[in-house]
Amino acid sequence: MKKMICRMLVLLMIWTPFQVAQAGMIGTDQVVQSSSALERSAVMNFVSRADVAGQLASMGLDAATAKDRVAAMTDEEVRYIAGKINAMPAGADGAGILLLIIIIAVIWWAWKR
Amino acid sequence: MGLEALTPVQQAARNARLLAGVLVSAWLLGGCAGLFPQTAAMRDAPPPDIPPLVELKDVPFFPQDEYQCGPAALATTLVASGVKVTPEELVPQVYLPERKGSLQVEMLAAARRHGRISYLLAPKFEDLLKEIAAGNPVIVLWDQSPVGSWHYAVAIGYDFDAGDLYLRSGETQREKVAFPVHEFMWRRSGYWAMVALPPERIPATAEEGRWLSAIAATERAGGAQAARTAYERFLNRWPRNPAAAIGLANANYSLGQLPAAERALRDAVEWDPQSVIALNNLAQTLADQGKHEEALRFIERAIALGGPHAAAVEQTRSSILAKQKQRQ
Repeated sequence: MKKMICRMLVLLMIWTPFQVAQAGMIGTDQVVQSSSALERSAVMNFVSRADVAGQLASMGLDAATAKDRVAAMTDEEVRYIAGKINAMPAGADGAGILLLIIIIAVIWWAWKR
Repeated sequence: MGLEALTPVQQAARNARLLAGVLVSAWLLGGCAGLFPQTAAMRDAPPPDIPPLVELKDVPFFPQDEYQCGPAALATTLVASGVKVTPEELVPQVYLPERKGSLQVEMLAAARRHGRISYLLAPKFEDLLKEIAAGNPVIVLWDQSPVGSWHYAVAIGYDFDAGDLYLRSGETQREKVAFPVHEFMWRRSGYWAMVALPPERIPATAEEGRWLSAIAATERAGGAQAARTAYERFLNRWPRNPAAAIGLANANYSLGQLPAAERALRDAVEWDPQSVIALNNLAQTLADQGKHEEALRFIERAIALGGPHAAAVEQTRSSILAKQKQRQ
């Protein structure tokens, strides 16, 4: 029961709308976006942002952190990563370059000998 | 010496030399152009107007912890741009535990949360060098497979004649990578590269429209103050851009600076009399200052133009009318 309430709270938190605009004012993002993007963005705010926040949360973030992170993205970026987080490059490793350098060094050494 | 006289070790060395020889001759014969086309093109026609040797020695260095090149690379550029932050503080903002890494989109987004404008460079080697020459460290994404994985590093210098790039990377403070090797790894990320600049600066390679979108992204992420400065600099560089004036006005509006917002919106309406958004926002800003009659004149113009924002405009009009009634 406790767990269920917890889950519901997480969901509720993620699904609270991402509010940025102020009453009466139309946001700058509406000016700089292309018109086709504009048509999609109204729906987007409610669907994709919450989706992406949910996807991030399922990859080891807590709900509030996931929401903050999505809030810093543009509509275009949200659309771009929605549903693809698993397949995208995630820069991670520094050890590889050492190996690469060693391989290149070995090739050079063998060549110069 | 005949082949039969070689020990296995010698033979292995000879094979390695043969392989290396084949590789190097392939490079020399220009077969390399396919592996690193931009390096090859630059060698034939060096980009004009860039100094031959640059190194941004003041860029700090944060040796990365396991898997955390994203936070380390981001901290490197943010601190260089004047933000006080550590890689540890950035971990909850960019690191994705289950992917054991950081997504490109999140690298761009996280910089905005620190009042910086993040800008994705055009996928050109030349632009990378131009940004470094202008004093801007550049985060690049490498694909190191098959010997490693995706990796962020920060390019901080180059020696064009020697063909070397200098980077803060992983646990190495000053990594020297030959242009072709760099391009070979960089190409597979689609030549992904970004800068994160303080709002007073404009990237050396900025394109008007994309830079404006970059500022709007920071404004949207809660960086109204930074965005305001950036819009002002933008308008100095590209005067009479109505979209930038609207951005400047919106940033001022959310900072509570209504007269400044009004001034910028009057500019926007003058530069683009057909802009429904400028007319709507000007009407709202005037109404907020109690100038209802003038506000109504502008909102009527916006209504006459119609378009995708018609519903929002109609709502602005009825709220102005309601306010006016309340007053009377």
